[in-house]
Amino acid sequence: MAVTGMPRGHALAAPVDLNGTGHYVHWGVIQLSVANLVVIGVMVVVFVLALLLPFPGGRR
Amino acid sequence: MTRRRRERAAVPDPAAFPTRSYDLVKEFTIALVVVALLTAALAAVFSSPDDRPVTLASWSRADGADFTATAAAELGGTSGTAEYGPPYNHTPGAAQKLGPLGLQSAAGVRIPIDTAEDFVLRPLADAPQPPVVRVALAAWAAAPAARQQAWTKAYSDALAKAPGGDPAKVTGGGFGPVPVLVARLLDMARSGALDGQLQAEGKFYETDYTRPLLFLSDGSYLETLARAQHLGGDQWGMMNETGDYPGQAWLWLYTFWYQIEPFKSSGNADALIWGLMALLSLGLMLLPFIPGLRSIPRWTRVHRLIWRSYHRTADQPEGRDNSPG
Repeated sequence: MAVTGMPRGHALAAPVDLNGTGHYVHWGVIQLSVANLVVIGVMVVVFVLALLLPFPGGRR
Repeated sequence: MTRRRRERAAVPDPAAFPTRSYDLVKEFTIALVVVALLTAALAAVFSSPDDRPVTLASWSRADGADFTATAAAELGGTSGTAEYGPPYNHTPGAAQKLGPLGLQSAAGVRIPIDTAEDFVLRPLADAPQPPVVRVALAAWAAAPAARQQAWTKAYSDALAKAPGGDPAKVTGGGFGPVPVLVARLLDMARSGALDGQLQAEGKFYETDYTRPLLFLSDGSYLETLARAQHLGGDQWGMMNETGDYPGQAWLWLYTFWYQIEPFKSSGNADALIWGLMALLSLGLMLLPFIPGLRSIPRWTRVHRLIWRSYHRTADQPEGRDNSPG
């Protein structure tokens, strides 16, 4: 792999590069990025898990 | 009334429930460590948005025609900032209102900006200039306001008619010293000097980008870049990010209102939406006192899901076990 032409700081670059063209969902008045949609999905999953997972030490 | 009394009587005394020890400090410490590790791990894997900054220098080099047209508008006092009203200036009728309440005016002019003086004339006057620019500055200063307005209007109109807005292709006359002043400002911007001039706060570290950012936002270059990244204000969320990085999506409700009528086309949208969100926040604060809304938890019965273990045994006639889920 040629090192010539690599951007400076490439060696310390993040494994997952999210810079570049973004991805978006457009539905009627709703327009949001896929990244925001993923965060919203994670928030919903965490909320549901908080409801469903057993309370630590609850079963004694 | 009788039914209500019966319901109240059916509520058990909280002190009658069994208790158990609970280490709040331990839980706080675990949460702190988990969040810190998660933050470090996510930062290492995804890093952060890395877009090149847009400056007056990069703008003037990339789109000199837009910079020239904007500078002429700043000089003539017809730019977006010049006509914005508070907190920058006292433009009559520009301030947003919430019904009879002039919220924007009430805050006052806290960051006074005279676009001609602050964005064009002072940066030119504060830097060493060739004689032709010094003569142009003197001619501008000696002219009455009406003539200054006529010069900038004539030059702005001529720029709008010129092919590509190119100052070199402007025809006609009656522009006074405006072309010289604006051309010199373009040179200063391209050299990077104007960024420093507009940021100069007299402090060691310059952190106030208000003036250069307002100048930038008066042109169409920054807006074009923002719209290309879906950051023109039609994406949900208060502060969205470039690329595939998430922003503050949980503030969606505030920006949702901007996407629908009557707010979408209202000149008072900021004030109206602020008022609406204040009203909704007040409703959330007073939820326990609002009949109907306060009963939603009882109808949705989510609490029975959380405390399902307790309710499984408590609902049985015998063999009651009060330990939580």
